[in-house]
Amino acid sequence: MSADISRTCKLPVGPVHVALEEPMYFRVDIDGETVRGVDINAGHVHRGIEYLCTKRTVYQNVVLTERICSLCSNSHPETFCMAAEQIARLEIPERAAYLRVISAEVKRIASHLFNVGILAHLTGYDTLFMHAMQVREIVQDLKETVFGNRMDLAALCIGGVRYDLDAETTAYLTAALDKLAPEAAELAKTFRNNGSILRRTKGVGVLTREEGLACGVVGPVARASGIDYDVRVVAPYAAYDRLNVPVPVLPDGDVWSRAMIRLTEVGQAIQLIRDCLRDLPEGPTHLHDRPDIPEGRAVAKCEAPRGELIYFLKTSGADEPERVRWRVPSFMNWDALRFMFRGAKLADIAIIVNSIDPCVSCTER
Amino acid sequence: MANSYAILIAVLLFPGGLFALALGLTLKGADRRVAARLQGRVGPPLTQPFFDIVKLGFKRTMVPDTASETVFLAAPLVGTASMLLAVALIPIAGVYNPDPQIGNLLVLLYLLAIPGVALMIAGSASGSPYGAIGFSREMALMLAYEGPIVLVVIAVALRTGLAEGHFPTFSLAEIVHYQQAHGAFVLDPVMWPAAAAFAFFYPANLGIVPFDIPEAETEVLEGPLLEYSGPALALFKIMSALKAVVVLSLGVALFMPLPLTGGVGLAAWVGQQLVLVLIGVTAVRVSRGRMRIDQAFVFFLKWPLLLSAASLAVAAYYTAGGAL
Repeated sequence: MSADISRTCKLPVGPVHVALEEPMYFRVDIDGETVRGVDINAGHVHRGIEYLCTKRTVYQNVVLTERICSLCSNSHPETFCMAAEQIARLEIPERAAYLRVISAEVKRIASHLFNVGILAHLTGYDTLFMHAMQVREIVQDLKETVFGNRMDLAALCIGGVRYDLDAETTAYLTAALDKLAPEAAELAKTFRNNGSILRRTKGVGVLTREEGLACGVVGPVARASGIDYDVRVVAPYAAYDRLNVPVPVLPDGDVWSRAMIRLTEVGQAIQLIRDCLRDLPEGPTHLHDRPDIPEGRAVAKCEAPRGELIYFLKTSGADEPERVRWRVPSFMNWDALRFMFRGAKLADIAIIVNSIDPCVSCTER
Repeated sequence: MANSYAILIAVLLFPGGLFALALGLTLKGADRRVAARLQGRVGPPLTQPFFDIVKLGFKRTMVPDTASETVFLAAPLVGTASMLLAVALIPIAGVYNPDPQIGNLLVLLYLLAIPGVALMIAGSASGSPYGAIGFSREMALMLAYEGPIVLVVIAVALRTGLAEGHFPTFSLAEIVHYQQAHGAFVLDPVMWPAAAAFAFFYPANLGIVPFDIPEAETEVLEGPLLEYSGPALALFKIMSALKAVVVLSLGVALFMPLPLTGGVGLAAWVGQQLVLVLIGVTAVRVSRGRMRIDQAFVFFLKWPLLLSAASLAVAAYYTAGGAL
């Protein structure tokens, strides 16, 4: 009976742990059930994609960047294309701008529903998890029908988009959104009112506004801590400047607030897609085939489901870029974990980690 | 000699041993199947728990280097043995009466605590930090639910004993006979607080959501069971299947024995268990999330303890009043 339950002991959480979707390694100092300190380690899924990007042509990189991570697989090529278009001084067609918004928002809905589903799973509420995944299945079917794939949409190309909506797919998209909207609202209501969820998420993993600003958190994590920041509003791209993008903000900064922000954004994304379908102009979906990318450098950013995603691209006029670098939202939110873990219980670790919706594949590439 | 053979049969064949194991695994299968349907899944076949046991039986038990081997391997044996004996202690209304030589309700209460203790020992002997956390959680949870259940049992004993005109009786057979003659306690408003308190005992003792805290998969990776594999893990699964039968049939014996006998009585008893599993286990676990250990502890100190204390007071007052 050598169980030291009164002294602080080290507990490994990860790198392989059922509660973590991707490999992360936390060495947690626990005192009974209370967390006293956390050592966060990363580096288990480094694949050298940044280096690989300099060995592929700019056009191949559109495909490659889509494969950095599955849940933000639209945001990476979108930002990369934006950087390349900046260097080549390309204006994408109006119809392409709206279509880019549609593909980005579809991925946002799927990503957010996945995250809140996992939250339910981590609290042991598997029925709600199954339900969230069933609601998400509507989006998955939508992606498969409209884009041809359930995860990587392959929607983007430099100078526009690679897909188009005809009468049939538009009708399907509209019907799917009409089916999704009440289900998503019901799901949000459950997360707002269910005792099991509230008990485990209210007041857990609190990140105050000041700490959030100090860490530079982005995306839903920032907005749940009262930081009114959304790239779609502060630096509009694609067609966002012509759309009404509301920015939901909650003051508490706990796990529940972050889940609620995501669920609110699901509803808003549905509305954004509807607005796009309403305003969708006629015209080409992309520029002439394969515009040349001259020498230059550019920085582009977009609002990925997890927050601000920034791309730096440097080209030399050759086929391959000289340097591609990206800063992912999870990298900024990652650091805020040590504030959220303060005084947390052991049972809350997985819930708190999940609440920043960490994307390890993006962060470690 | 004949007597000891009867006890042996009761422990190893019916109602303990093979019969209880088959029943427990079937109940588990039904629970998994119905839970899956409630969650919009197909779910495993009813026989899946049997397959799991057989599969584990053919595998090797790995003992971690950090574990204390003897204790590590003895824990599942002790737990399973205690449950085999416990099943033989509980009467089936009109079908089976346990030999009073084996023990009474008080012995049963002690036996019921042993699986929890076995898990605690298993967790700490495995040498895994997750096991140690499972140990401390199991201990906290036991402290929380053991008090109310003892009070409930005393309330039932008081009610029966005083009504029969003597001291509280801890003979389950007598409690069952009394209810068969005078109607089940679950229909008696005086015993409703006790029945309600007992209802909280189910999920806590069986380790299901919202009280599956010591073995929470997404928090402590099955806690005490983390390092177990092969036949040793199969024994723990057998233990929990038997425990389900023990706890469910204890509930039936304490609150709702039917005035039936023979084959009909046995079938009705099995039916009662199935209904109790679906209402008390499946419906509970699919409709909520897990509590944190501190929340569960406070919860038990509040509602079940209050209810069981009230049940004791009410039972004592009304029974004594009736006798006077």
